[in-house]
Amino acid sequence: MTTEMTSNQKDQSPLLEGRGVSKYFGGLAALHNVDFAIYPGEIMGLIGPNGSGKTTLFDCLSRVQQINTGEIHFKGQEISKKKPFQVAHMGLARTFQVFRVYRKLTVLENMLLSRQWRNESIFRQLRPSHPDTDQRARELLEFLTLDHLTYEQAGNLSGGQQRLLEIGMALMPDPELILLDEAASGVNPVLINTIKDRILHLSNEQGKTFLLIEHNMEFIGDLCSRVFVLNFGEKLAEGTPEDVMTNEDVIEAYFGS
Amino acid sequence: MGRKILDLIRAIIFNRWVLAAIVVLLFLMPSLFYAREWCQELDAFTSPLQDSVCTYLIEEKPVTNAVLLNFTQLFILIILASNWNLTGGFTGYIDFGHAVFFGLGGFATALLMGSSRWEDWPALFSDWSFWPAMLGAGIVAAIFALLIGSFTLRLKGPYFSIAMLGTLVATREIVRASSNISGGGLGLSLPVYLNRPMFYYLSLVMLLFVVNFVRWIRSTEFGSSLVAIREDEVGAEMRGINTTLNKITVFCISAFLTGLVGGMWAYMNTFLDADIAFNQNRTIDMVMMTMLGGLGTVAGPVIGSTILYWLRDVLWANFLLFHQIFEGILLIIIVLFVPEGIMGLLDKDSSGTSLNRIVKGWFKKEPEEHPRTS
Repeated sequence: MTTEMTSNQKDQSPLLEGRGVSKYFGGLAALHNVDFAIYPGEIMGLIGPNGSGKTTLFDCLSRVQQINTGEIHFKGQEISKKKPFQVAHMGLARTFQVFRVYRKLTVLENMLLSRQWRNESIFRQLRPSHPDTDQRARELLEFLTLDHLTYEQAGNLSGGQQRLLEIGMALMPDPELILLDEAASGVNPVLINTIKDRILHLSNEQGKTFLLIEHNMEFIGDLCSRVFVLNFGEKLAEGTPEDVMTNEDVIEAYFGS
Repeated sequence: MGRKILDLIRAIIFNRWVLAAIVVLLFLMPSLFYAREWCQELDAFTSPLQDSVCTYLIEEKPVTNAVLLNFTQLFILIILASNWNLTGGFTGYIDFGHAVFFGLGGFATALLMGSSRWEDWPALFSDWSFWPAMLGAGIVAAIFALLIGSFTLRLKGPYFSIAMLGTLVATREIVRASSNISGGGLGLSLPVYLNRPMFYYLSLVMLLFVVNFVRWIRSTEFGSSLVAIREDEVGAEMRGINTTLNKITVFCISAFLTGLVGGMWAYMNTFLDADIAFNQNRTIDMVMMTMLGGLGTVAGPVIGSTILYWLRDVLWANFLLFHQIFEGILLIIIVLFVPEGIMGLLDKDSSGTSLNRIVKGWFKKEPEEHPRTS
């Protein structure tokens, strides 16, 4: 089933494509000559041991970091020279390994501020949030089972709830591609299942594309149609979860020889 | 128990009727001043009531020029603290040089009103009346903020603070050195206009405008985005907020309002030189008053300025030699024990912050510093 889907997707043009992406920190190659492609509607996993460059890749995609060489195309446009907010306007949203909620604002305000901003004049911001934005924020909070915390300060939420809020903030602008950085870490099993359900729902019903960084192999296996493995900044393997988990190189990278 | 008392205090001071009553009393206060002048011009008192009231007004002098001046200075401090709070409290960019806009506003007003000692000063920018000159002061300050902010606001945390402090000192020295325009050590004299009630009303109206303006800003998406920048600038940028543009905009707004006040103050003071216009104590006042009231809250600067102004008067009157030591101790007490200021005590759920949190944010781990996480 999954392989079939993948081969269908190969006919489409990729939503996000990287060619020869490299990122160096001094002499350390965090990413070296990485090629990847993500097709519309798929859920792709990104795994690899600690320090393999997964989060750096996310940072390069969301433009917090400059890449040294290579090209990144999103929806057919070269984005490696754009600013982070411009990439966000194009429909790329992400969550963070370290929580980046606005701790002193309420959960609702956090959601409202993550709306789709577009390139609008600053005068359009000089008013309270639009009622439609407000309604969407409340619907998403309900969808993520956070509606009872609407007026709570985000900093008072538990770790798992902050994860869900981050996912909500990433969904708020109705993006096409969502990068989830360890969405399941530090979350209790019940909430993990909630997150899994929500991701599958969004993928199946709304055709959203996901790229997940994850250490939880069960999570990856349940969700992803394709997995991409990084090791020391280089691509180690790519394929279905079953293929990758039985790949000897991957086992060696994770568990040592 | 303590919580209940705090809630009661909050309920009283934020009651809209209490606030309205305070504003009405402030508006009516100068009428006592005028009534006294009127009484003094009377030849004889025609009724017992008039006799008792006028005798009281003339002998007790409840509202004198000095009282009006005191209140005007308090209002100016509140406006300055509220302006500083826009960049320092909401956006989290601690500006140690905000007085530069105050001084520039003062000098712009003086020059536009024709005080220049330079013979070649263009006639077009000379001999303006006070109102357009004050507006011009605001615009000059805003343009300067745009030029300086475009560079300094790209700096993070302490680097911004130090760059702004440097801007203040450098501007002061440049103004002092360009003595044929600024008068150098001699300073500039403005047209003398001694009308305390007028300045009292002008500063009161500006105060009401600025406080309501800040409250309105906070209620808009723009205002929330400023707090988001303070809480997590990288996150805000990646979620689609053009942080650089919003920072520069709020910096210019804040500078514009500070420039206006500077212009008014210069006209009220009738004399200006580089040292009193670019006095760094004014910046310290803004920071301390905002911190005492609560960084990043609308009411904080108002409460903090009022209390500190009153406290300073008491300390000045009773411990002339030590009053600055007491102020320093107060600053330490605020930082250590009431980090979120009075508003933080009164309202636990406010979006206000503390200097400690802002400083911690400066040293938070950013992705570029930690390439090897995961």
